[in-house]
Amino acid sequence: MNEIAVELSGEEVLLSSDRALYWPRERKLFVADAHFGKAAAFRARGVPVPHGTTEDNFARLDTLLVRFTPRALVFLGDFLHARESRGERMTAALSAWRARHPLLDVLLIRGNHDARAGDPPAELRFVTLNAPHVEGPFEYCHHSGERERGYGIVGHLHPSFVLQGRARQSVRLPCFWMRKTHVVLPAFGAFTGTMAIERESGDRVFLAARERIFEA
Amino acid sequence: MRERGFEAASFQREVWNAVARGESGLLHAGTGSGKTYAVWLGVLEAFAPIAKSRGLRVLWVTPMRALAADTLRTLACATEELCPAWEVGARTGDTTSTERARQSKHLPEVLVTTPESLTLLLARDDSRALFFALDAVIVDEWHELLSNKRGVQTQLALARLRRFSPRVLTWGLSATLGDVELARDALLGVGERGTIVTDATPKPMRIDTLVPEKIERFPWGGHLGLRQLAGVVREIEAASTTLVFCNVRSAAELWYRALLAERPEWAGRIALHHGSMHQSERDFVERSLKEGSLRAVVCTSSLDLGVDFLPVERVLQIGSPKGVARLLQRAGRSGHAPGRVSRATLVPTNALEIVEAAAVRRGVAAGRVESSRVPKKPFDVLVQHVVTCALGGGFRVDELFDEVRTTHAYRDLSRPEFDWVVAFATNGGNSLEAYPEHHRLIRDEEMMLRVATPALARRHRMSIGTIVADAMIRVQMLRGRRLGSIEEAFVSMLRQGDTFLFSGRELELVRIHEMTAWVRAAKKGAPAVPRWNGSRMAFSEDLAECMLDVLGDAGRGLFVEPEMQAVRPLLELQQRWSALPTARSLVLEQIRTREGHHLFCYPFAGRIAHIGLSALFAHRVTRGVAGTFSISVNDYGFELLSAEPVDWKARVEQGLFATENLFEDVIASLKGAQLALRRFREIARIAGLVFSGFPGQPKSARQLQASSSLFFEVFQKYDPSNLLLSQAERESLDQELEIGRLGAILDRMRVQTLVMCTPPRPTPFAFPLLVGRLRERFSNEEVSQRVQRMLLDLERVAASEEGVRVS
Repeated sequence: MNEIAVELSGEEVLLSSDRALYWPRERKLFVADAHFGKAAAFRARGVPVPHGTTEDNFARLDTLLVRFTPRALVFLGDFLHARESRGERMTAALSAWRARHPLLDVLLIRGNHDARAGDPPAELRFVTLNAPHVEGPFEYCHHSGERERGYGIVGHLHPSFVLQGRARQSVRLPCFWMRKTHVVLPAFGAFTGTMAIERESGDRVFLAARERIFEA
Repeated sequence: MRERGFEAASFQREVWNAVARGESGLLHAGTGSGKTYAVWLGVLEAFAPIAKSRGLRVLWVTPMRALAADTLRTLACATEELCPAWEVGARTGDTTSTERARQSKHLPEVLVTTPESLTLLLARDDSRALFFALDAVIVDEWHELLSNKRGVQTQLALARLRRFSPRVLTWGLSATLGDVELARDALLGVGERGTIVTDATPKPMRIDTLVPEKIERFPWGGHLGLRQLAGVVREIEAASTTLVFCNVRSAAELWYRALLAERPEWAGRIALHHGSMHQSERDFVERSLKEGSLRAVVCTSSLDLGVDFLPVERVLQIGSPKGVARLLQRAGRSGHAPGRVSRATLVPTNALEIVEAAAVRRGVAAGRVESSRVPKKPFDVLVQHVVTCALGGGFRVDELFDEVRTTHAYRDLSRPEFDWVVAFATNGGNSLEAYPEHHRLIRDEEMMLRVATPALARRHRMSIGTIVADAMIRVQMLRGRRLGSIEEAFVSMLRQGDTFLFSGRELELVRIHEMTAWVRAAKKGAPAVPRWNGSRMAFSEDLAECMLDVLGDAGRGLFVEPEMQAVRPLLELQQRWSALPTARSLVLEQIRTREGHHLFCYPFAGRIAHIGLSALFAHRVTRGVAGTFSISVNDYGFELLSAEPVDWKARVEQGLFATENLFEDVIASLKGAQLALRRFREIARIAGLVFSGFPGQPKSARQLQASSSLFFEVFQKYDPSNLLLSQAERESLDQELEIGRLGAILDRMRVQTLVMCTPPRPTPFAFPLLVGRLRERFSNEEVSQRVQRMLLDLERVAASEEGVRVS
């Protein structure tokens, strides 16, 4: 895992190759579109999805927490995937994870999926807010349309970028999409799809290839 | 019947006798020979006198909904005469809900249906009782189902019917087939021998070729097709009704417009018909065809089968039919009645297709009809079937395993594989204990596996029809009119404002929203021709061999067919500058141009195998350094272009054609994983992973949708032993790479005489490959200019040589 430092509205932040953004001065870690319980929601409707995506999400989250030792963790919406994601097992797994990080402040900006799935169970001690939430030069939102005046740190799109190689080969990677008014984080969840973006002039795109992050 | 002057053919009597003896079997006869009556009268004679309480006695399965109405009429007519007590009904996707409701009280004695509707009946809780009294099941147009997954679905349904009614007779009707035994075995399943009845009377058939007056020496694939327009117009004028078959929809669109431009007075008298047009428009065209009110219909494989159009007198095939069986099938659409002549004319669109025309006519004369391949134990279809059986009254695992193994497709299915399929259908194949609340199937008190909830049952019924459906996008005018649907893959290549030809119109793409492409009439200008993915037809092995045979004759100075005489100058030029590829000799041409070092190779293995072969060669030469070669392929051969020279002779001696590590090398060279992902799209849909939702379902339901590529990813990562993944890999190797054919071709290449030439400039065989590669890189206009320049140069050289020879 590695990071790239970039400047957003005069603040230095780190973009992690494992799809998270870290703001060192405030010691805040940002993660978008975790979609916990998505696989469970599929299974509940009779679609067989293999197990392991939830464990994978927690393991990656823990690694990030050890690496950056943030004071607070911000979920930029779509924390839970659907109503069916609130099953006993999922709730137990979330509580167990919370118990491993009792002192961490956790903030959730509500996203469209949270609206239907409902706020996380109270015992998780999340502070749940509507977008935009303003802090310093930044506004935390689920999607960029909710931003008002500040620089947006947002999710929702699940952005990816298609790298064209020679001989018509191509590879598609999740990415950070840094624009004039906001930055879109890649989706964090292990069982989430992506949407290919089209870069416009002035945009910067950072590809998050799990082990390594690099600018496209 | 006899009193009415109906004289039975000998094959019809054979079928009647076999049915009377209680035998199952396959009737194999040309189109328009009276197959339907042969089986139907036999069945009526054998079973109608046996009185039973009401209920379904005979099932007639047809591959096309459109055929059902026609078949219903034919069967009803004979039944009324011979067995008035029997009711004849149809049940397909078109059946109205009132009719369905009436049928659900009691089914008619005779039911005409499709594989999908039959599977839906098998998914009913009372399916056992429904089919208890079944005496016979007839599968019409079996050749159409044999080699695809719908055929496998049919095999599984037949096995189920045999369990419910063990004495049921099975009969298949089939047109021209390469391997009749295989077709019978797949139909009747393991352990049932069955009779094969063949109609020995040859169908009178005339096939010829429209040879253009002027033949270019350097064929430019496809581009010059419309040059034959005047000839085609003449042919259409000479007949009452003509079907003009094109191989791809884009060509059909082009020809339709060209014909109208040439003969504006034909507006309303000629029509277009292809698979992505809206059903109601297609129905209209078909009705008009039957009534004889159309002069010509430009169509694609969409009219390869279906109801009989008696008025059709002529068939024109634009471009090569790419296989003997397909040509016979299409030719048979004309003169469709016993005793009438089927009349087909091939219309080559470039000079090499003229050679192909001679070859395919030789194939027809020699009766070299291609064999079909039956899919081998596709797990996706079996997952679907297992849920169907759970719905249809439940099943016990041991019993269903035995039943499934009686089908030809799953005869080699192992018990662990079957257990995996059941586990996957039950709970995704993970450890059975883990998530009992998420089981799709549960055991009832009699240890029968059943579907857990009504919601799951409804969802499964909705996805039963998915075996054929490709991901399609509706095409709709901004002002509301629906035009039809096209493959998602094609639409995704278009940008807003792009112009394309569809349904005979020039359209501009406005936007894509929720599986609908909104379009408006395009402003006048040169339209972009749509390129439909996957619509290219595979070049058959038998035709390839006929072609090598024809070329072999030409190499010995024998130009037998009129086609061959017409292309003689081209072939002689090829021979002068290089050599003619034949069954015995493999020709490799090396040319140096400003672009770099070209290798041209002509194995005649078809486009698909050539993609594999060329990538394999590139991989073996560069040892995996990607992007060293530019590649171009067509059905006859391929080109490898590199910046640096390659010592191909040494490479061949070092084992370039070896079959060792073929599997690994091909996967490595072609990014096998990406191809498998493409196959997985269909597999995910059939196995019920990807679900397009119920009609009119609220948007929130989309929270439960994920793309097949996402499933592919998570299965690879979290469940790598999933059998659906290995199926995707196997299908991609077999179907997208034709790995079997690749191996056979390499074996042949090793024993062929290697002819290495260094012609001074691109030969007639090399030229289309060269142009094909340019096409991938440049816009139409640029290509056109470049090609014209190259053509001028080449023609000048060729002509001056001939001038020298003459003087």
